[in-house]
Amino acid sequence: MLLAQDAPALGVFVPGNVAPFFALLVFCALVYIMIQRARAGQRIPEIRKIPGLEAIDEAIGRATEMGRPVHYTPGLGEATNVQTLASFAMLGHVAKRCAQYDTRLLQTNVEAFVMAINQEVIRQAYLEAGRPDAFNPDDITYHSPEQFAYAASVLGMYERERPAANIMFGAFWAESLLFAEGGAYLGAIQIGATANTHQIPFFVAACDYTLIGEEMYAASAYLSKEPVLTGTVVGQDLARIGVFALIILGTVLAHVGETNWLTGILTK
Amino acid sequence: MRKEFPMLLTVVAALAVILSQFFFHIYNLGWLDVLDKWSNLMWAIAIGLGVINLTLIHGKKIMRRAPGYYNSIVLLLVLYGYGILGLITTTEGFHHKWIFDNIFAPMDATLYGIIAFFITTAAYRAFKVRTWEATVMLLAAMIILLGSAPIGEAIWGYWGDVRSWILNIPNTAGMRGIILGIYLGGFATALRVMLGLERAYLGGVGGR
Repeated sequence: MLLAQDAPALGVFVPGNVAPFFALLVFCALVYIMIQRARAGQRIPEIRKIPGLEAIDEAIGRATEMGRPVHYTPGLGEATNVQTLASFAMLGHVAKRCAQYDTRLLQTNVEAFVMAINQEVIRQAYLEAGRPDAFNPDDITYHSPEQFAYAASVLGMYERERPAANIMFGAFWAESLLFAEGGAYLGAIQIGATANTHQIPFFVAACDYTLIGEEMYAASAYLSKEPVLTGTVVGQDLARIGVFALIILGTVLAHVGETNWLTGILTK
Repeated sequence: MRKEFPMLLTVVAALAVILSQFFFHIYNLGWLDVLDKWSNLMWAIAIGLGVINLTLIHGKKIMRRAPGYYNSIVLLLVLYGYGILGLITTTEGFHHKWIFDNIFAPMDATLYGIIAFFITTAAYRAFKVRTWEATVMLLAAMIILLGSAPIGEAIWGYWGDVRSWILNIPNTAGMRGIILGIYLGGFATALRVMLGLERAYLGGVGGR
């Protein structure tokens, strides 16, 4: 919160946000350049193989062979959470595959807004797969806005429906291990993806495949294989190289005791 | 228009937030407060719609004596009973608070407690020495356990120091690398949404 006596930095900026603004500009420029290169058909690097995303078709295929459903949860994130935004693209892909393989998709929700969007995403996916008749809105369920009530409800559903594939893609908190271990007891193929760092170890321990951190954000580009989307991921990686260069510069300056000017710029 | 209008709203709202974060004079226009109020208003409307929707769906289920209709009766009784009780006694009222403290809280805590057992079974599978990565994980976990439990200190007085070193140096370094990637990835995703490159949230597949 700004105080009345605060003065703008450099005449226009919120104090403390000058460096982040220019960092944002550089980041946007990198992404824009990569998008333009992709649009012009110029060569851009490919995204490395991500086993967790490769395994999605395998998991749905196994569920199809076993005649059992696929379960998909976006976690507890609200529709405004960037992890949930990434989850919509993944859900679209999973729903399309389920429609193509004629496999039942059970999609559970904790957020009313997210559920409404998920319904539309799944409906559209079934339409694109040419199977609008197979779309069953009753398989998209709202459980509870409470974390553990939702977890208990999903664990109950596991026992009744026995899904053969369990895809957890979004923002998870303490319920992550309940879902993942519950799925492991069923013998389901499990794919976990979250950017909540405190939950990643649980997914690593309990899931067959885990997408760590930014891998989940690359999912839409990876699955769609669209050069323009891939361009944004490449731009992001270039920005990462820049940040690492800054870390190395900071480490060197810290060793020679000359960090004041750098911290002065970064905190302006 | 069905997709263009929501996209336009997304871009305008995102720009308002971004510009308010960086520019002093735009910040002082108070757009963030206005958006916050709209967001709260939308939540309140959504809750009202949700209650009406639940009543209609479960009311029909009860009328038709559909399978499991008795669950719908319980749901509506709890929904309206607890809601009305809260309106009469306020959420700090004795009966409202008693129900929360003696029914909701213990059930919530019980489920949270199950995680302790699940951690054990998950760790057992993860720590099976099958690969060299699993071996490293097992060794690190053993050292952390010995450094945290009193028995470790009794065996060797330096387990605590080794534990602190693992947590503060390699663990923090790795975690910060992951967090850095997460922030950049998250921002790239937000940028894709803002530019209309990722429209899955409007209903679509593979980001489009």
